[in-house]
Amino acid sequence: MKNKENITSENHEQEHVSSYSELFGTWAALIILTGMTVFISISGANLRTLTIATALLIASVKALVVGFYFMHLKFETRLYRIMIIIVMALFTFFLIMVILDYLTR
Amino acid sequence: MTVAALPQTNFFQIKKGIFSWLFTLDHKRIGLMYLYSVGLFFLVAAGLGVAMRLELLNPGRDIMSPQTYNQVFTLHGVIMIFLFIIPSIPAVFGNFFLPLMLGTDDVAFPKINLLSYWLYVLGALFALSTLMYGSGPADTGWTFYAPYSVKTGTNVTMAVLAAFILGFSSILTGLNFIVTIHRLRTPGMGFNQMPLFAWSLYATSWIQLLATPVIGITLLMIVAERVFGIGLFDPAIGGDPILYQHLFWIYSHPAVYIMALPAMGIVSEIIPTFAQRTIFGYKAIAYSSMAIAFVGYFVWGHHMFTSGMSGPAAIIFSILTFFVAIPTAIKVFNWVATLYKGSINIQVPLLFALAFIFNFMIGGLTGLVLGAVAADIHVHDTYFVVGHFHYVMFGGAGFAFFGALHYWFPKIWGRMYNMRMANIAFTILFIGFNMLYFPMLILGLEGMPRRYYDYLPEFHTLNVVSTVGSWVLATGLLLMIGNLIAGYLKGKAASANPWNGITLEWQTSSPPPLHNFDKMPELTKGGPYNFPNAKSTHKK
Amino acid sequence: MTKTDLTMNHAFVLPNSGHKFDAKASKMGMWLFLYTELLLFGGLFIVYMAYRYLNQNAFLLASFELNVWMGTINTIVLLTSSLTIAMSITALQKGDTRLSIILAFSTILAALVFLVIKYFEWGAKFEHGLFPGMDHYNSLPYGERLYFYLYFFMTGLHALHVIVGGIFIGVVIRLIRKGRINKNRISLLENSGLYWHLVDVIWIYLFPLFYLIH
Repeated sequence: MKNKENITSENHEQEHVSSYSELFGTWAALIILTGMTVFISISGANLRTLTIATALLIASVKALVVGFYFMHLKFETRLYRIMIIIVMALFTFFLIMVILDYLTR
Repeated sequence: MTVAALPQTNFFQIKKGIFSWLFTLDHKRIGLMYLYSVGLFFLVAAGLGVAMRLELLNPGRDIMSPQTYNQVFTLHGVIMIFLFIIPSIPAVFGNFFLPLMLGTDDVAFPKINLLSYWLYVLGALFALSTLMYGSGPADTGWTFYAPYSVKTGTNVTMAVLAAFILGFSSILTGLNFIVTIHRLRTPGMGFNQMPLFAWSLYATSWIQLLATPVIGITLLMIVAERVFGIGLFDPAIGGDPILYQHLFWIYSHPAVYIMALPAMGIVSEIIPTFAQRTIFGYKAIAYSSMAIAFVGYFVWGHHMFTSGMSGPAAIIFSILTFFVAIPTAIKVFNWVATLYKGSINIQVPLLFALAFIFNFMIGGLTGLVLGAVAADIHVHDTYFVVGHFHYVMFGGAGFAFFGALHYWFPKIWGRMYNMRMANIAFTILFIGFNMLYFPMLILGLEGMPRRYYDYLPEFHTLNVVSTVGSWVLATGLLLMIGNLIAGYLKGKAASANPWNGITLEWQTSSPPPLHNFDKMPELTKGGPYNFPNAKSTHKK
Repeated sequence: MTKTDLTMNHAFVLPNSGHKFDAKASKMGMWLFLYTELLLFGGLFIVYMAYRYLNQNAFLLASFELNVWMGTINTIVLLTSSLTIAMSITALQKGDTRLSIILAFSTILAALVFLVIKYFEWGAKFEHGLFPGMDHYNSLPYGERLYFYLYFFMTGLHALHVIVGGIFIGVVIRLIRKGRINKNRISLLENSGLYWHLVDVIWIYLFPLFYLIH
């Protein structure tokens, strides 16, 4: 019986409840970032490498915003952030090693 | 009928009938269904292997045409890799013993566990269907290298889809184990009180989870290329076949550790039990499993040294490859140190574990030869690779699988096999194995290329030795399996703990009851391998 | 003694049973599954990167065929649908079942809008014969073919995920109606939300890679 209580109390740990205004603010930020990236793409057609870099940078910022606020990463235990960092680091390594092969071939 | 008789009701007796097995959510039954399926495919693929050796008994054509030979070695590889080794230890012994070792009654998602088994069956049916129609099973080798896999007329599409489905099954098993280990450890068992087999499964599961999707999508691209006739990897239409190799090995190199890591976990269980003393360097072994899993992601390029990959990339991959040797060697040293001054009880499971170390050392050291760019270029695609590969996979993972089967046999079925016969079978198996594969290492150094049904006359003698070795090996296998079946049918009853092990699975009856434990399992103080009566400790 | 007796009499249950519902396990399982999805698309991103590097001018040229405005509208539609599903979770956590269902339903509507726009976009490409295998496609240089091939493969796989996510949310709505998902047992709704956000994140990368890099 004692153990049973332990388990249930663990499950009742307070979940973060996002307020509507917090979610709405997140959405507004994402829309603004989308506007930015479209604007840069249309106006800065001559700066090719720059547009690739900025486009990916803005996309990553957007992905982080979605992850942290919509997907609650900000409010989860540390474990979730560590796991996603490892996953993304691995994937980045894949990208780096493959492109390294092409760059030096 | 009294309540007191109930603990005698084990998970075999609680429900009867074929459907109580096919749709069971019990991890033990799912594990056993995996065992029977995996065992069946192992025998089929081993038969194909013996047939190949028979073809190679003499130069020239013996029993099959070159095309048949290509299909046979592909089928042998696909079945052994995707249907046997990858699911073998995790899906059979992981399923059966992980919850027992953690002191829980099932995996975290029992339904997903069953789904994973049925996906395995579906994948197996896809793979077998390639035998039935068109121009027969794939002839590409298990690697499905583009552009040949895109152009050949054999049933590559089906084979590739089979691998895709089996990958999905493997992902679900891994996912299940990770959540089980995080959420279902018995109260008081921290990560550092987990048995080492659980640690190795944890590392393995992460590989299954993070590497398998990459091959999934790659294989889908092959299917799309074949079905729509438009190219991603065919250089004739603007593709790059080396990119396929990158994607393939991003999965398939870590997959080697899906096969090897659980085997190391088994050895880490067997050795302390039969030395009756605590494992030397618990944390070193546990963390080196994670290290191998991690480093394993960074070394895929060593399969591609001769493929046209750039020089700098080859050198970097070569250097990274050597890092794998460090955690592997840590494990081996710790196992040997555990045996030192232990009260060693030489039984069949321990013999298999020792054979694992012996074979795996040869496999690992020849791996370093292949991992060095300069040396690899000479022996690439020769029998040296075949020998190395089988020393790691069969001599390593395969022997650990058999070891686990002998170690946990009394726990699973509550009966004991004939020890004397098991010793004999082991000896024949071990001799046959080395007779079969050691000549291959020499043949490779002498320059015999792999994947041909024919060879030059000067390679004849060693090929004869190797083929005779395959017969010895097959004899040993049949003896071992016969002995185990005889033990299952009429072996004498085994006690709950015949080897005097102290991990949690030995605290329940043999076979275990449906919900694994009839009372709370008790953790040993001071770590999972702290034998109370050990003659000496490692403390100085 | 019958079978039920055998199981009924089994009074002892471990505290850490795998047969008990565990919200944290459920969430962790979903996250792990999302990682596999990330790497599934990750394989395609690797291919995209390699071929973009090998065929820079062709990819640039081909990218002008896409309609930036349709892509932008679709991005906004998806981001909004992410907002509604996130709000749906908040609503249910606060106990407002009705609002939660309305919001989840609007997520499905947004998914449909996304797919309709996608349909017209793809339709326009079909009219120009740009689908792999069509005549015009076959007359293009290799680099541009690879671009369109990847475009159809990646956005197609993404659209498939949109459909699956929509169905998932549909099932969740049904379960909320039945009361199987409620304030105290919200995991499945949260998981459908996580899946939906992942679909969104993938699109966040697909959009600039195909539409915006000029």
